[in-house]
Amino acid sequence: MRKPEFTTIFFALMGFFILIFIILPVLSLLFSETPGVLIETAENPVVFDAIFLSCYTAFLATLIALIFGIPLAYILARKNFPGKNVIKAVIDVPIVIPHTVAGIALLTVFGSNGVVGGNVGIRFVDSIFGIIVAMLFVSAPFLINSAREGFESVNPKLENVSRSLGASQIKTFFKISFPLASKNILTGSIMTWARAISEFGAVIIIAYYPMIAPTLIWDRLSYGINYSRPVAVLLILICLGVFIILRIVSGRNHDKT
Amino acid sequence: MIKLEDVSKNWKNFSVKNINLEIKNGEYFVILGPTGAGKTLLLETIAGFHYPDTGRILIDDKDVSFLPPEKRKVGFVYQEFMLFPHKTVFENIAFGLKIRGEKNIKNQVEGMADLVDVKNILHRYQKTLSGGEKQRVAVARALIIKPKLLLMDEPLSALDALTQKKLRDELKRIHSETGATTIHVTHDQEEALVLGDRIGIMDKGKIVQTGTPEEIFRKPETEFVANFVGAENIFTGAAEIKKDITEIKIKNVVLYSTHKKSGKVNISMRPEDIIISKEKMESSARNVLYGKVVEIEDKGAIIQLKVECGLPFVVVITRQSFLDLNINIGASVYLYFKAGNVHLF
Repeated sequence: MRKPEFTTIFFALMGFFILIFIILPVLSLLFSETPGVLIETAENPVVFDAIFLSCYTAFLATLIALIFGIPLAYILARKNFPGKNVIKAVIDVPIVIPHTVAGIALLTVFGSNGVVGGNVGIRFVDSIFGIIVAMLFVSAPFLINSAREGFESVNPKLENVSRSLGASQIKTFFKISFPLASKNILTGSIMTWARAISEFGAVIIIAYYPMIAPTLIWDRLSYGINYSRPVAVLLILICLGVFIILRIVSGRNHDKT
Repeated sequence: MIKLEDVSKNWKNFSVKNINLEIKNGEYFVILGPTGAGKTLLLETIAGFHYPDTGRILIDDKDVSFLPPEKRKVGFVYQEFMLFPHKTVFENIAFGLKIRGEKNIKNQVEGMADLVDVKNILHRYQKTLSGGEKQRVAVARALIIKPKLLLMDEPLSALDALTQKKLRDELKRIHSETGATTIHVTHDQEEALVLGDRIGIMDKGKIVQTGTPEEIFRKPETEFVANFVGAENIFTGAAEIKKDITEIKIKNVVLYSTHKKSGKVNISMRPEDIIISKEKMESSARNVLYGKVVEIEDKGAIIQLKVECGLPFVVVITRQSFLDLNINIGASVYLYFKAGNVHLF
């Protein structure tokens, strides 16, 4: 008989504990409420508005990250230039700084006396723009890094061939590079959206109102956990739902390659 | 006509230096050289993927040195095929036409697919194709834009030996049907010999000799070329299959080979497969030639002789046999070699 691999068994056991640690609180929360209570909570306009606002602002933050992040990701993947590593490090900064710190930093720029907030005629404090700015700041790195990895995985020779066949640089980008990196970009977008919707610390510093779902959950906690928990369950259900659907879609997208 | 004037380019660890080259319309030009000679860089510079540091590139008398690749109308085929993985074979071949907004794409693609024999796989994606099929598609994709110049970078090197031979003949046929001016880069001498109207030998970023295959292999101008192309016995002749044997006429000499091939053929024989003798002897060898020793070269453990029998044959023998035979320049000798050792390609 084959000898059992004790190392593998040991490692699997250790892995099992961390998996349980992740799954248990999520399941415990999900099953803490009855469907009746959940439906009743969802029908509350305040709750509905907060959750909708969360999804919507996270979506807009992702969109902005896409528009500005993808060109940067492409340049980083294709070109070599002095200071490239510095730029890569800068992109990771939002991941490493505490989110309340990020919020205060954003306030110095987007606050009513900030460089941007005081000059562009848009109110960021306690507005939807403030929420988006905070979300964008903390979540954009996920998109940029993921898209960069995607573009790096596209062989530059494919782009060469495309150009030799008559496609300009920009056409080559849209017809070859972007489609081939799209799986990474989609994964990056999911991560960015998820990171944006889960942001709380940076958002409340710049915009406590209008309330996004995490703010509402925090707000309601002061009246007791029973009042706050159904909102949390609804939010987690929506996030998991979107996450699973997009994972399936992005998994299927590139079966042919 | 393609003309390179003093083209130099440094890129990463590669370089090409002062390349001067002229390729006529319809010509099949092979650049032959060892790995790292700068062959790919030269090809990519001609395509416009790199711009030359100095010098000029002219296509049909127009300076294209700094024209972006999409404006040059130059087809490119890579060793690794580089089919677009998210597109079907049809879409791959059609790509250049679609970009140009051409009409009648379907007919043109089908015609091209016919030419390279991929008509039955048009709906498939590259991951289900064999190496040979991928390269046929890549050639079709490059040719469909009717390029002024077709550049191929080691197009056969990623294929197995059998497919390589087959596709090599196909490339020859496709070239004769399309007449596309071609530059083909390879490190394989046989490939260069079979395909090239002319060959350029490249070493350390420089083209060290250009000429017809005959000139390159018969009269290497430098030691590098001589060593690289090998001092093998390579001839061109007319072959005719007679029952179980092939008869090849080269000038006044007739050779026999067990390899079956007819028409214009290239012949090669390894020098060590040839037996040399001063007297006529009984031998099972089908080929017997009589000639005079014209050159003796001491290579240490072995001695290399050149024997003129109407064709110059290179023969190598061990030092001991050389001493036993007691051969001098001008000595009359017989050469014996088996029909199985006369390689045709």
